[in-house]
Amino acid sequence: MKSLSFLLLLAGLVPSGLLSAQPSFSGPAPVPGVVDEAAVRRAAYLARRTEVLQWRVGLVKTGEPATFGLGEIAAKLALRQDAEACSARLIELMQKPSGDMFWMFPVTCISYLGRDQLTPAAKAAVREAWRTYFPLRGDTENHWTMYYTTLYLMAQLWPDEPGERWFNGKSSAEIAAESRAWLLQWMDLTTTVGQGEYDCTHYLGEYSIPMLYLATWAKDPAMRQRGHMMLDYVLADYTVETLNGIYVGSHARTDDVTVLEKWNGLSSFFGWLMLGNCPPPNGYGGWGFFFAVVADNYELPEVIYRIGTDRSGTYTHYERKRTRHRWRNSDVRNAPVYKTTYVTSDYALGSDQGGLLQPIQQHSWDLTWAVPDPRGVHNTIFSTQPFYGAEELMMYFTEMPDSMPAAVTFQGKPTYIAESKLLGGSPYEQIFQRDDTLISLTNVADTAPHKQVNGFFSKDLANLDEDKSGWIFAQGGKTYLAYRPLAAYEWRPIEKGGKRLYSPHAKNGTILQAAAASEFKSWEDFKARIRALPLEVKLEPVPRVAFTSLRGKKIECAYGSAPRVDGRTIDYAKEWKLFSGPYLNAEVGSRKLTMTHGRLTRVLDFNTLTITDAVRP
Amino acid sequence: MSTARRLFFSALALALGSPAAPAADGPKHDLYLTANLGGQGGVLGRGGPALSGLYRSTDRTTFEHLGPHHIRMFTLTSDPAERGTLYVAALDGVLRTRDGGKSWRTLTGWDMTEPREIAFDPHAPGRLYAGLPDGIALSTDRGQTWRRSHEGIRRAYTHALIVDRTTAGRLLAGTEQGIYLSEDGARSWRLVQATEKVTYDIKQSPHDPRVFLAATSSSGALQSTDGGRTWVRIAGISAANTLHQVDFDAHEPERLLVCGWNTGLQLSEDGGRTWTDRSVGLPNRDVWSAAFDPDTPGRIFAAPQQAPLFGSDDHGRTWRAVQFDKATVFDLVFLPRS
Repeated sequence: MKSLSFLLLLAGLVPSGLLSAQPSFSGPAPVPGVVDEAAVRRAAYLARRTEVLQWRVGLVKTGEPATFGLGEIAAKLALRQDAEACSARLIELMQKPSGDMFWMFPVTCISYLGRDQLTPAAKAAVREAWRTYFPLRGDTENHWTMYYTTLYLMAQLWPDEPGERWFNGKSSAEIAAESRAWLLQWMDLTTTVGQGEYDCTHYLGEYSIPMLYLATWAKDPAMRQRGHMMLDYVLADYTVETLNGIYVGSHARTDDVTVLEKWNGLSSFFGWLMLGNCPPPNGYGGWGFFFAVVADNYELPEVIYRIGTDRSGTYTHYERKRTRHRWRNSDVRNAPVYKTTYVTSDYALGSDQGGLLQPIQQHSWDLTWAVPDPRGVHNTIFSTQPFYGAEELMMYFTEMPDSMPAAVTFQGKPTYIAESKLLGGSPYEQIFQRDDTLISLTNVADTAPHKQVNGFFSKDLANLDEDKSGWIFAQGGKTYLAYRPLAAYEWRPIEKGGKRLYSPHAKNGTILQAAAASEFKSWEDFKARIRALPLEVKLEPVPRVAFTSLRGKKIECAYGSAPRVDGRTIDYAKEWKLFSGPYLNAEVGSRKLTMTHGRLTRVLDFNTLTITDAVRP
Repeated sequence: MSTARRLFFSALALALGSPAAPAADGPKHDLYLTANLGGQGGVLGRGGPALSGLYRSTDRTTFEHLGPHHIRMFTLTSDPAERGTLYVAALDGVLRTRDGGKSWRTLTGWDMTEPREIAFDPHAPGRLYAGLPDGIALSTDRGQTWRRSHEGIRRAYTHALIVDRTTAGRLLAGTEQGIYLSEDGARSWRLVQATEKVTYDIKQSPHDPRVFLAATSSSGALQSTDGGRTWVRIAGISAANTLHQVDFDAHEPERLLVCGWNTGLQLSEDGGRTWTDRSVGLPNRDVWSAAFDPDTPGRIFAAPQQAPLFGSDDHGRTWRAVQFDKATVFDLVFLPRS
């Protein structure tokens, strides 16, 4: 099954002492903004990379081998330090390999960094480990990306070897061909119908790192180019949905920590490293380190940098993704995912269309507001319909049905079956967003494990006001929020702070309207404006809402029917492209992404393997 | 021992149902287990002191680990023409070892993952089938190359596959929505029994090749007496629970077992007409796998959830822990000794 808790992995691979000398983690938060001068940007980027390497090297304690792991070896080799000691320690570590694909990419990194530094004995130890240790391929897209990227590179490092020299009995040529074939079809799938494990607050790293390795070390210029282009692709996909480096809106996967403290995920490491507009997470996000060691071989294109940092205007970005592979309970292998993200300098609202789009860790919608320093702040508001069950797990995994729901809670997803859960999708939720207005409707079956809607109300909200009108008004940073539960509710405490709106009604829903405080004369003015907005709600026979938003759009949603805006029926399948908006545009099936910001344009064309940059005069 | 005492114990043994008596010339089969010892928190990317994967016992009391630590090996078979060559259905695909697990070859590529069943065709040397989450794959060269072969199956998730040992070209597949029959070597398939959810196991009687049993997720246990053309639900086995496995006792045509979630181990002595719960003595009623020992009458092995492997020498009346502390044993397979 599936997949591994990255927290468990971090515990296994990152030595103690994470808090030692992480100046950007412990220091003042950066002030978001745009650095115009390319040389300054580059210097700051490389300085941040150096900070990561020096931190990692500093974790090694003399006489304590446990502090000298694969990460520290990679750091030292990247800085060209202590090759003898690295070699000796590597020989020891190769005696007991573990970690599957999470072992493969650090060892691949070390092998390439150490080509001219490691001793022959150390190289031989690594070579022997790839014969005797049988790393598993895994069952998720990120597992396979790591697995096949590293196999591709290691087969390149050791070409022309017979199957007897490899753990899986395949020759170097067979491994290279199989790895290349998978990587190409993954890139093709991603650039035609979308990524399956899309927009993850953690797994962004597990895609970026392999692509950087391909861009750096693949001998085949075509594969090197593909790696470079895919790295641009996934980073553009990330930056366009960020607010000060924080990944916002809907995610295929996030986790119980990051869903509340939005900044606290590996993706923020990339915000810090690439955009310089947020602090890095503790330990530089763990795996982020393995990007940093090779990061000098990549330069974020200016157009992507500006898409990620320029929040001077408001924009709506649309995306189409896909579900991961469905094995059961579905007539389609990959169902489409339709995303909408509205971004301003003060807040961002993002969503998918609802439903079971990913297993276990799906996050369907949220609003994130900007804060000066995101560390420890729960700068988000959202609602969920808490669902779990064998149906979901059978759809996306090949496991037997009955043991899995409970087992998931032991596998780094402790809230999976909890009624108080705030993470995960529901087959009984349908969502529609237009601009900064969102309507979520739920119609929960009698057989569902939980019937209610859980709304998350952060400890960091201000001015929480339960209005007689039925609206709940609140303020997050410079953002005014109007939250409308469609059925009666009560409040329940949340252990990590804040409170949960618990609305135990099967026919239910949430309306959220956001606005910048600067749009109103006062808090009272905002509330009066919201109260005056036309709103009709019916819950029988199915939930139905007609709401005219602050932006003057009449939005009509009925559970089970296509939404309507100003009388026009929305057709997701026809209207949602792979990317559309002011910055990223791609047609479904095109294999071609156009990135635009101001006068800058970059086109990634996977049909021709070309990158075309243009500057409008 | 006095004659009277011998008679007494003989009578007691008969009353208890033929206690285990090993075959005079020793076991003809080895017992293989595919087990995950990583606990419920065992996930990919994490090692551990306990070795998961493939285990073999030649004496039913001691078990040796073969091959790599692997938390998702699901089942295995051996090549009828080369009994020492094992084929394992695992997370990574179909794995093969020719040297008792010292070295392995992954026979499948990126386009095949997580096979749940693997079966050789006894009528065609080298012909091998694999049940996949997205269909059925066929190899005619002992797994060197594969092609898909599930024409006619609507939802292609396939968890069970069995080749009719008496008729060339006939095989049955347990899929997401029912049992399918092919009579042309998997070129085409037709639905012979619809089920709401997955069919997880199908077995053919060693006594009467027309008789098959099937374990399903929501339709209970099913029986066919006409070679899999028609099926009837077995009364006495609840359809409310997911059934994992079925088995025939090689020593007694009428003796059957069924195991599954919240089902424990159910035993029939009359061909499925009546059933007796034989779960007393097992630590829980969630039994992943169970099988009769083909070499020792009366002996059954059962693998409850997160518990030791248990053995019984009296048809499940009493149980003893045999191996492991906590395990998920995906399958128990007896293979002819090479």
